[in-house]
Amino acid sequence: MKDLFSAKTALSVLYFAAGMIILGGIWALVSKISKNEIPNPQATWVVFKEVMHNPMQNDPDYKGIGTKLLSSLGRVAIGFGLGSLFAIPLGLIMGSSKIAMKMVNPIVQILKPVSPLAWFPLGLAIFKDSPHASIFMIFICSLWPTLINAAFGASHIPQDHKNVSKAFGFSQYKYLTKILLPFSLPHIITGLRLSIGVAWMVIVAGEMLSGGQGLGYFVWEEGFNGGNIAKILVAIIIIGIVGSLLDKCFTWLQQKFSYAV
Amino acid sequence: MSTTTIAPTTPENISSIADELLEQAISSDKSIEVKNMTVSFKTAKGVYTAVKDISLSVNKGEIITLIGHSGCGKSTLMGTISGMVKPTSGEVIANGKKVTAPGPDRGIVFQNYSLLPWLTVYKNIYVAVDSALSDKTTAEKVALVETNLKMVNLWEHKDKLPGQLSGGMKQRVAIARAFSINPKILLLDEPFGALDALTKSSMHVELLKLWNMDHREKTIVMVTHDIEEAIFLSDRVVVMNNGPAATIKEIVDVPLPRPRNKKDIVHDPVYMTIHDKLLNLLIDKFSIDD
Repeated sequence: MKDLFSAKTALSVLYFAAGMIILGGIWALVSKISKNEIPNPQATWVVFKEVMHNPMQNDPDYKGIGTKLLSSLGRVAIGFGLGSLFAIPLGLIMGSSKIAMKMVNPIVQILKPVSPLAWFPLGLAIFKDSPHASIFMIFICSLWPTLINAAFGASHIPQDHKNVSKAFGFSQYKYLTKILLPFSLPHIITGLRLSIGVAWMVIVAGEMLSGGQGLGYFVWEEGFNGGNIAKILVAIIIIGIVGSLLDKCFTWLQQKFSYAV
Repeated sequence: MSTTTIAPTTPENISSIADELLEQAISSDKSIEVKNMTVSFKTAKGVYTAVKDISLSVNKGEIITLIGHSGCGKSTLMGTISGMVKPTSGEVIANGKKVTAPGPDRGIVFQNYSLLPWLTVYKNIYVAVDSALSDKTTAEKVALVETNLKMVNLWEHKDKLPGQLSGGMKQRVAIARAFSINPKILLLDEPFGALDALTKSSMHVELLKLWNMDHREKTIVMVTHDIEEAIFLSDRVVVMNNGPAATIKEIVDVPLPRPRNKKDIVHDPVYMTIHDKLLNLLIDKFSIDD
């Protein structure tokens, strides 16, 4: 922490501020051109403060932005968690076995590019319940990056490491815990980082479709239907900040689990 | 041992019993026997024969080096002894048993150290001991790791990751790991190839020190392309022909007394004769043509 106030940090803060000012300038300009159809930064700031007033309000008829955010995060956590629990073992099996790779990979290639929106009605048909349908959608969409990265990791274990295992007679369990998992872990975390990004993108779309809950609903119902464009902008800012914080968490994990060779 | 329980001793069979006992006595001295072994690989361009019809026997406690140009099949030959490579024909007997797979009776030191980068020095050795000597108690395993790490003077570095060590230190960890499972045969595949000359020299002395401490009972087979290294360490130097289908060109004895001294040995006339001989066997041209 001692170099927090170093010249380098001060300079980055300065550049950040400069970037924000330029963005704010463009925003204000767009707002002016659209004759305030798009609210300017000051007007948005007023709405932001209004939205942030009592954010944890949790009444049956109205829920604050914080409550909505938590409900969105909760659904992301469940969908992403289930997706990862499924994707990591399957990816490792794919990476370790050529047969499994040949069986599963074509399916992955076909299902991966399917739009999240296409999965939602299927989830609705299966679960007859829109919150479960959005979790299903997140599950399916956040699966692929983790699956592919785990498979990549497991299939790229250097021959040297395999030789060690052979030479000293590692058991299957020892090979799994001392070679396969540690080697694949950085790749898995990269996959998780991409997956949480996808999950966070998908949740907004899901909640717009399912209605009633979360940030997506806030954007659609209170923002667009309520004719309050400033609320859409506020939601975009909050979604962006939370998304980048989630990404930061996984970047931190990535650094923690990388090792020098 | 069934031969010793044969019933009546008659003049007819007494000589055959003697023969068999003699053969047992001799073969128990043999640590490694390679018999008419050929190794071929299937490649995209057809069958590639790496080594052809090789026979070689190594005595218990002997240090032997395999020397030759790159790609002459010395690592392949070594691989068949370790069990990593399967012979296409012929067989390898190590410690009286036919080699079919790698086993803890043969310790391997790899060319590129092959330490697991996510495990500390200590744990790298411990997992190997834990796997290879699974019937020992935890206390015994811990003691083995400690003894061997202290032997290579790396005890104070036991909590470091391999990435924090120099090349020489990494190779000492690899050697300690191979010694700690106490194999009868130690196989070293160009172990010092990546080290600088000074580190290499001290590693030679350390290796011989470890071998001495173990009462010179371990058989050591080492692949190298360094003539000085081969002479300083070995009892016999196996010179290989160039591949494909490499064979043994000649086996050169090194009758220098042990312990050998790195500094004095180079002035020994015997050393110089062997050095010249190996050089002639390995190199065709000594200067550029006029």
